[in-house]
Amino acid sequence: MTDTALAHGPVVEKRRGDGLTAAALITPATIFVALCLLAPLAILFRYSLNDFIPAKKMMVEAVTAANYIKFFTDPYYTSILLTTVRIAVLVTLVCLILGFPLAYVVARTQSRWKHLLIISIVLPLFVGNSVRAAGWMVVFGNKGFVNASLLGLGLIDKPLEIMFTEKAVIIGIIAVNLPFMVLSLQSVIEGIDRAVEEAAFSLGAPPVTMFRRVLWPLALPGILAGTILTFILAMNAYATPFLLGGPLFKMMAPLIYNEFTQKTNWPFGGAIAFILMTVTLLLTVAANLLFQRARHGR
Amino acid sequence: MSKGFMINRRTALGGVAAVAAGTGFPAYAQDNKRIVVGTWGGDYSRLLAKNIETPLLAPGGWDVIKDEANAPPRRAKMMAEKALRRGTSDIQGLSANDMFEVNEQGTVEQLDYSKMPNAANLIAAMKYPYGIGHIYSGKVVLFNPKLMSAPAGFADTLDPKRGEKLGIIDIQYQYTMLAAGLAAGGSMSNFEPGKERLIACKKAGARIYPSNEAFAQALKTEEIACGIMWKARAVQWQNAGINVETVAPKEGVPMYVSGFVMPKNAPNKAGAYAYLDAMMAPSAQEGFAVDMGYNPTVANAKVPDDVQKRIGFTDEEKKRLVDLDYGYMAKNDTAFQDWWNKSFKG
Repeated sequence: MTDTALAHGPVVEKRRGDGLTAAALITPATIFVALCLLAPLAILFRYSLNDFIPAKKMMVEAVTAANYIKFFTDPYYTSILLTTVRIAVLVTLVCLILGFPLAYVVARTQSRWKHLLIISIVLPLFVGNSVRAAGWMVVFGNKGFVNASLLGLGLIDKPLEIMFTEKAVIIGIIAVNLPFMVLSLQSVIEGIDRAVEEAAFSLGAPPVTMFRRVLWPLALPGILAGTILTFILAMNAYATPFLLGGPLFKMMAPLIYNEFTQKTNWPFGGAIAFILMTVTLLLTVAANLLFQRARHGR
Repeated sequence: MSKGFMINRRTALGGVAAVAAGTGFPAYAQDNKRIVVGTWGGDYSRLLAKNIETPLLAPGGWDVIKDEANAPPRRAKMMAEKALRRGTSDIQGLSANDMFEVNEQGTVEQLDYSKMPNAANLIAAMKYPYGIGHIYSGKVVLFNPKLMSAPAGFADTLDPKRGEKLGIIDIQYQYTMLAAGLAAGGSMSNFEPGKERLIACKKAGARIYPSNEAFAQALKTEEIACGIMWKARAVQWQNAGINVETVAPKEGVPMYVSGFVMPKNAPNKAGAYAYLDAMMAPSAQEGFAVDMGYNPTVANAKVPDDVQKRIGFTDEEKKRLVDLDYGYMAKNDTAFQDWWNKSFKG
């Protein structure tokens, strides 16, 4: 018995030690997340159930779903949500279409300049969104680079309206999100053995069939990661729609900011924030399920 | 500079005008020489430093820290800090209607004017129980004389006949609705009649700009030919080489007052009073008139004649200066924003 106890002793001790180490490792991050994310979210959710007196711009304690009902019953707000989802889906698709070939080339290249290629993709991320948007403003303006060039070449006789339109916002968000898509895809494509592509070709598959039957299914985890990341970033885009969209174009994140600061309507701002978060989460989960089904259905 | 030195000098110079605002305060307040000023960034902040802080406060040992942002986020911060015993700012620069609203929300101190010797010269209309008017101007019509003849007033400017040559500033929604209201037979307490007119202007192609600066840019590139804005801004833009002239509208010239309030939980109230007092000094007020084109709010500021001619209003125009109905605007602001965002812009 003593022997057994001795034999088990160190094992038990080791497990306890493991537990402590694990606890020590996860506690700081858990506390950080709890304090910096969950606590504000909980407070915000509580605020979103409060009332608001417009005449005094004051929040009043209450427990009501009125803010959520107001959002879904007013076409002005639902149209902003639909615009946001539409733009996020469009941007994600364009990023996927533009990003896949680029990621494939970067992943497969044997060139000694490969690291430079990767750096050039990451480089735009070194500049903040608002700074980049300021650059786009110079490019898109009525007397900006694009219009000045087209007018100079005689291709148009009146400046194109790009600045403060949906077009400008879409171009701006694609430029911000494309590196995230490319990097997600490139890391997964690099892990796919070149031999499986060659096997498909040697069995007579044309490139399109090889892509559809071999590359695409194997790259699905990267496609999923890239699309989710791009979609979430586009749904929550603030600086780009604010600066390039102008006063007439609205997306969800600038709307939330406006409710909080301009109208000081914290309850409604809180409710919109939760609606945006929930819609983003639901669409992400739905996309995930669709991808999983596509993967296993094969 | 040690505290001991400060206190000794303070004791020695007790009663001298430069430190008058600080005398009679408890010792702990005198120890705190930092004043946190919430203000707009850009020119306004730069000119606060040039005309008030550097010449009038720094020699007294005051250290001014700026919290620069547009008014809405700073107001939101004041609301968020309302329950705190100590806030993070000592004074906040706001427009007169914002000052009215933050007072309604119970976040600002009622001022003791006896602590500010310079307040003796303050124009009565700029003396609010909860704040002080720092500068003022009037909402006028701006037009490019190269592209059109001078409009008579708001009705002639906010008119669908101007098509896409009319510029409207998004963040000026209150004053735009007010001007359209006056143009359509409304009053300072009834903006409703102007709504139809604004929608007609937008349908006719009026351009909407996100900021004052974007509007100025459009005037410069001649994308637009007219709009409405503070006279002071027109003077500033004229100085920047933009071809723009002003007309004091026949319907009335709504006043724009920009001032300062002190949050109830200001950590350094002595500092706040010192700042407010320095702000009313004639030299500071004259500096703002010359540099920024706003009118002084104290009677003893001497503005050069040529400057006065450009920034001020004639006696005839002064008769048309009208103050805003702050109560009406505060009560309906949320509704105005809803209409502006949903019906006008939407």
